[in-house]
Amino acid sequence: MELFRIENITKQFSEKFVLQNFSFVVLPGDKINISGYSGIGKTTIFRLLLGFERPDAGKIIFDGEDLTDENVWVVRRKVAYVSQDLNIGKGRVSDFFQETLHYKANQHLRTDAKNRITEYLSLFNLQTDILTRQIEELSGGEKQRIAIINALILDRSIFFLDEITSALDPALKEKIMNFFLENKNFTVLYISHDIYSSKNTKIKTLKLC
Amino acid sequence: MSETVDLSIFSMMMCGVLLLIPVLLVHYLKLGINRNLLISTVRMVLQLVLIGFFLEYLFKLNNGFINFGWFLVMIFVAVYSVINNSGLKYQHFILPVFLSLFIANLFVVIFFNTFIARLNFIFDARYMIAIGGMVLGNSLRSNVIGLGDFYKALNKEEQLYLYKLSLGASQFEAMLPFAKKSFTSALNPTIATMATMGIVSLPGMMTGQILGGSVPLVAIKYQIAIMVAILASTVLSIAMSILFTIRYSFKKSGVLRKSIFK
Repeated sequence: MELFRIENITKQFSEKFVLQNFSFVVLPGDKINISGYSGIGKTTIFRLLLGFERPDAGKIIFDGEDLTDENVWVVRRKVAYVSQDLNIGKGRVSDFFQETLHYKANQHLRTDAKNRITEYLSLFNLQTDILTRQIEELSGGEKQRIAIINALILDRSIFFLDEITSALDPALKEKIMNFFLENKNFTVLYISHDIYSSKNTKIKTLKLC
Repeated sequence: MSETVDLSIFSMMMCGVLLLIPVLLVHYLKLGINRNLLISTVRMVLQLVLIGFFLEYLFKLNNGFINFGWFLVMIFVAVYSVINNSGLKYQHFILPVFLSLFIANLFVVIFFNTFIARLNFIFDARYMIAIGGMVLGNSLRSNVIGLGDFYKALNKEEQLYLYKLSLGASQFEAMLPFAKKSFTSALNPTIATMATMGIVSLPGMMTGQILGGSVPLVAIKYQIAIMVAILASTVLSIAMSILFTIRYSFKKSGVLRKSIFK
């Protein structure tokens, strides 16, 4: 069963074609590295799949159904997206997690969220006292890890990861990306300019040119 | 108490002399706004003269339907001003902004006239037009801030808004922090005015009543009542403006329509 089928997508902004007759398929458990030079439309793929943009031509099928403005909400509740944008909000880190868990769609995740947050903080080399700090005071690398943990507590199995380790040191980059790439239950689409020494040899590459 | 002293032609000419100060200063500082300043002054004088004659006729007639009709005209002008100054397009916003200003202000004015001023004729021109104008003028200013800030912030921080949607937030949940922030910014001037009223500023309505011969204590009671009415209409109209306009401003996918901006 295919998760996503992208058929002959075309997307242009103003006069510039970002994607032209672009097609690909995502199967459960796939690990796909989306590569290509800056501005070629890598992030646009995520934006199209999440319904933030509509394609000018072609179609996107999710779980066997055509993606429309009405049903794109289903995708957003199955995919965990970590953006390259470090503007993840303001206020205390603990409130940031609480806001995510407060959304009606995520209320079922509240029960053991605290333990899971603590586990992930430790896994990604963060101290628990970060929960009391303000997001605005965090470094780029700390913000990235907080955004990753926020995606993980959603307990989803499809991940869209857009340059999520750009502000981290090499060892931590490897650790975090391997965490995603070596989990068989995860379907991961990721954008990164780094090459990881993952044991997973089945990483597919989607090269935009 | 004595009646208000009428201002003679000489007094109005003295006003013109006073006007020379800002005009000369603006000219000397080369601010480049002399033309606008003069146009605005001429417009103000013409509008007030016309409205003066019109209101005199309206007050003499004191017909409920006509008073209500004029109140509607005031709301239409306010709607135009709110949308124009918020940087938004008319076609998307005219109906929702009209509804919110109309419902909020009509409710507050009728409540004021019925339960506070306790009038027998609640559409009395002196109250309907004067109180209505004060309440409407303030909710206009707050709506320009509230509505304008709300959509500008959503547009500027669209990535953050979309990020919240991707986390599973509904459209309402994702925009709530933006709405709360704009709501606060819109209310702050009214709250600050209330906190310093009587010390920093002697409000226009109170000044008018005192000049008109009212006892200061009566003027104060009216001023308290009108400030509460302003606060109520401001809160109601901003909340409704944001709620009513959402329907027209977002796609079904929850993404903000860029076409709403001028």
